Amino acid sequence: MSDQDTALHRVTLTVNGTSRTLDIEPRTLLVHALRNELSLTGTKIGCDTSQCGACTVLIDGRSFKSCTVLAVQADGTSVTTIEGVGSGRELAAVQEAFKQHHGLQCGYCTPGMVLATVELLNQNANPDEAAIRHGLAGNVCRCTGYSGIVDSVKAAAAAGVGK
Amino acid sequence: MSIVGTDRPRIDADDKLRGATRYLGDLKPHGLLHGRLVLAMDAHATINRVIKDAALAIPGVVAVLTAEDLPTAMEGPMRQFEPLARGEIVFQGQPVALVLAETEAAAEDGVEAVIVETTSHAAVLDLEAAIKPDSPLARIRQIGGEMEGSAAMHVEAAGEGEGAPAPAAAAAEPVSANAKGPHRQQHGDATAALAGSEAVVKGTFRTSWVHQTYMEPQGALAIPEVDGSVTIHSSTQGAFYVRGMVAKLYGVDVSTVRVVGAPLGGAFGGKFNLIDPLVMGAALAVGRPVKLQLTRSEDFASGMPASACILELELGGTKATGLTAFRSRILLDQGAYGDWAMDGAVPVMIGGPYRWSAWDSLSYGVTTNRFGTGAYRGPGGPQVVFALEQLVDELANKLGVDPLELRLKSAAVEGDTGVDGDPWAPVAGREVIERTMQHPLYKKRGSLPANEGIGVAAGVWMGARFPSAATCRVDQDGGITVVTGAVDMSGTNTSFAAIAADTFGVPIESVRISYADTATAPHAPPSGGSGVTYSVGQSIRLAVEDAKEQLLDFASDQMDVAASDLEVVDGMVRPVGSPDRGKSVAHFAEQVTGFVATAPPIEGRGRFAPGNPSPSVACHVAHVRIDPATGEVETLDYAVIQDVGKALNPGLVRGQLQGGAVQSIGWALYEELQHDEYGQLLTGSFMQYAVPRADRVPNVDVDYIEVPSAIGPFGAKGIAEAAVMAGTGAMANAVAAAVGSRIRELPMTSPRVWRAANSR
Amino acid sequence: MIPAQFAYRRATSVADAVAALADPDAKVIAGGHSLVPMMKLRLARPGTLIDIGGLPLRGIADGAEIVVGSLTSHADLAQAAAFAAAGLQAVAECAAAVGDVQVRNAGTIGGSVAHGDPASDAPAGLIAADARIRVAGAAGEREIAVDAFFQGPFWTALGEQELVSAIVFPKPAAGSASAYESIEDPASGYPLVGAAALVTVAGGRVTAVRIGVTGVSGTPFRATNAEAATLAGAPVADAARLDITGQDVFGDTRFDEEYRRHIAAVVIGRAVERAIARAQGGSQ
Repeated sequence: MSDQDTALHRVTLTVNGTSRTLDIEPRTLLVHALRNELSLTGTKIGCDTSQCGACTVLIDGRSFKSCTVLAVQADGTSVTTIEGVGSGRELAAVQEAFKQHHGLQCGYCTPGMVLATVELLNQNANPDEAAIRHGLAGNVCRCTGYSGIVDSVKAAAAAGVGK
Repeated sequence: MSIVGTDRPRIDADDKLRGATRYLGDLKPHGLLHGRLVLAMDAHATINRVIKDAALAIPGVVAVLTAEDLPTAMEGPMRQFEPLARGEIVFQGQPVALVLAETEAAAEDGVEAVIVETTSHAAVLDLEAAIKPDSPLARIRQIGGEMEGSAAMHVEAAGEGEGAPAPAAAAAEPVSANAKGPHRQQHGDATAALAGSEAVVKGTFRTSWVHQTYMEPQGALAIPEVDGSVTIHSSTQGAFYVRGMVAKLYGVDVSTVRVVGAPLGGAFGGKFNLIDPLVMGAALAVGRPVKLQLTRSEDFASGMPASACILELELGGTKATGLTAFRSRILLDQGAYGDWAMDGAVPVMIGGPYRWSAWDSLSYGVTTNRFGTGAYRGPGGPQVVFALEQLVDELANKLGVDPLELRLKSAAVEGDTGVDGDPWAPVAGREVIERTMQHPLYKKRGSLPANEGIGVAAGVWMGARFPSAATCRVDQDGGITVVTGAVDMSGTNTSFAAIAADTFGVPIESVRISYADTATAPHAPPSGGSGVTYSVGQSIRLAVEDAKEQLLDFASDQMDVAASDLEVVDGMVRPVGSPDRGKSVAHFAEQVTGFVATAPPIEGRGRFAPGNPSPSVACHVAHVRIDPATGEVETLDYAVIQDVGKALNPGLVRGQLQGGAVQSIGWALYEELQHDEYGQLLTGSFMQYAVPRADRVPNVDVDYIEVPSAIGPFGAKGIAEAAVMAGTGAMANAVAAAVGSRIRELPMTSPRVWRAANSR
Repeated sequence: MIPAQFAYRRATSVADAVAALADPDAKVIAGGHSLVPMMKLRLARPGTLIDIGGLPLRGIADGAEIVVGSLTSHADLAQAAAFAAAGLQAVAECAAAVGDVQVRNAGTIGGSVAHGDPASDAPAGLIAADARIRVAGAAGEREIAVDAFFQGPFWTALGEQELVSAIVFPKPAAGSASAYESIEDPASGYPLVGAAALVTVAGGRVTAVRIGVTGVSGTPFRATNAEAATLAGAPVADAARLDITGQDVFGDTRFDEEYRRHIAAVVIGRAVERAIARAQGGSQ
């Protein structure tokens, strides 16, 4: 490898609507770029093998596990993190549904779970329980037993999220 | 007004949903060094040399610390007192060195470059073999000292292969120094009572090592302060606990350690001082802030999961009176460290929520070359329940009685002699079982298609009785601030707010729950053992009552109404019966907080020691379908019936019980930390270690009952651990009903179910 | 976890990527969902990554054959109507069975195939469909028949200086239908065994069949005994046991070899049954 290629790479991302330019090592994972370079610490890391989903973000509107995407791969894309779901301190309807229906406990899986829900409802605005459970299979929650999460997704769908 | 008992969102919901909650991993002080662990490759070995040079040459790597570099002042037989291996590696995955670097990436590069030279020893892994007098020892160098670490440093060496003398006990089983025990509970003549029973059943059961799998891996951050003290930010369940333990380990005054509990990203019993000793020692060694947050791989490899057990159990009963007697022998694999091993408790726990006339119950804790034992929700419970509740079902079958009828007849009530010899505290086993008999899911069990089964089981968690204290301040604006040193676990702060609001008589919006660190908070117990709401909640109620009394005394003078004739309703102080003459709490608060106040500010104090626990009983009902061709088990439906004392917040209670149910399904069907015959971990990531996902579990129906505790706040009982005290049994009984034969080993994986289905 | 250092280049064209592969220490990255996890665990440490993510290799062209660009995601494949219309339901079902939503959004068919992971779903569908793997190299493009492509664990017929550009699916005869069945590892979601069957039914009997099996051994394979049984109208699962007998089957302490041999036969039988039911006009 040449020094030039391992040198810092310039990456430009639109993050939650704002254009951000970073100079980073190619090995920097998107989740680390978001957390360490942009201080968007809402995106969590829960595993090493892209199983748990805590790091889920939207890239160009679709859900991805940001621990398994190199930041350089995301160059030129638009990224939505949990910080971009609501507006300021106001919760979006999907977040409000999780709040009212006990879709969270410790909160660590929650940002990923919310973004996975956004993807799910964007693809299917009226999922039944089986579709909800299938659609969230990439996100592990250890606290709730999922019942509260499923209730929350149903409520979000009823509130028109995804329509 | 009644906020207690109403379903309300968590008070931390907004922050968590916005991704704004600052967990340990989100903290980044100036000058921070990132830690990463060099983990042992051998399960059992002597460390000859740790070669650090190549790692230290990597740009960004600042230090490579081994046990000698940590300024410890003592040692003891606990993982917490041995943060890095001291000469002897006792399990694969044990931290041997800590690499500190300016970036996480450099720390990982450094770990790869550290070379650990070892001489391997036999790994002790088989429980039955390990306790035999001629077994090799899992720990060659025996470390003395009290488990609690209260005794002074005490070290004694024992030669390899030289078993310690067998503990004097009636069991008279010769054992090696790997065995701790026997712990024994005896009452009456169990042999005679079994012989006199109408039916007797027995079996040997095996359970797996199971990881807590909190979604946030373990982590802590230590910051050396200019005055020589250290501030530790920690994802911990017990800030005061951590302070005491690390101060002891490093021989410093507790006042020089300040522990700040970070919001917990799940814990389930597993977050007690695992990382804190490492970062504390490292910060002292290098004089810079040090953070270590484990990767999931590190957490699987070097965490403190729940023990595997081998349980031999025999029990008897009669149709007329129910359960009679039992005999048990339990080998509990405590691993290389028994910090939280329940070997002393399982002989009691295996008696379940039942009344017995005679028993002979013993256990050994067995030291092996696997991990160390941590606490995991209802520690010991899922293991004993798997054995006991299957046999209770078999016994009911043999006696020809309904399985819940047998349990109902046998349910212990207040005053019955428990297996530990103490009388039972008030306990609602009968009420819970009766309620379960009425549950539609249980009633359905007679009319199922082929390959489906419904199983039921009962369990109890005795509850903790930690002492605690809290304060309550009335703020200038008429709101109240409750200060607690208890880390919010599973929504306890939300319940505290409801307790405070109702006790004082202010809207919940006027209640602030302020978490304070060990420098400033009133004493708080660890958040665990189902003891937080039970104890701290009551301290808070007492603190709020004290503050309210002070307020009413002051208002009484001001309003010229006897304090006993005043009440606080919805933030207004008013004479009873004259709501229109009320004045706001703020009105009085301003007068005791202003510059020219004539009366002192209002500051209530509460402290509480429960004295007795309030056991919570649960029944679980599971409905499964098996595919006999592949052994796959689908959990179709699930119900939890539990006595919660008082549901302070029904939504949170449901969530706790649903979460417990799904963790039980994980124990039952999927979860197992496996080692090969050399002690190498085979299931060290989510690629091999299966936790339940949303598409593998059903909705969990919760039907709680409220039999109030005389001790807990508003009648509440600790609930979170009883929620896993029946699940493995219910699942096993459901699978047995579907398969037609029993599986006596956890987890009940598809190959095991397939073999059982094809051997019937 | 963070990968070891590597150099990174973004390929500007297929030719550019192929040229960069002259470096023996270089690796192509597409979605990265096979490679990045291995790099994080430092089980893979390429010197240079050549990112082909920006190349125009994404999309499904439905003509005389169905040509799927190598960068097409599993999610897009799973939702493409062209496969069911052609009787190639199994191809879309394999894609739908991959991982979870996020993994299907990121992972690509070309990356999956090139990686040669014996535990992935995709090969079963490719084998059943008799697909061809179109690869680009220094000498231009060539096509490799799927039966010759998978050669061992993480080992394919792909040359050192080649990359997968497309997968070509011939359309089977009228009256054909296919199905994919699998049993997943509850931890990883990878198939313990996956079987795809493509059958052609004419005059009430099966006139052609191909069965691809993945997950169970180091190399995805055709279940030729089960194919013969299917044509003969004999019990498929029994015949499938012969196919499994000839394989070096994975086994570990969680899912032992005997169990996996057994479920492989079961799953092959179920895939054939469902494919036949579909071809006969069932709505399965």
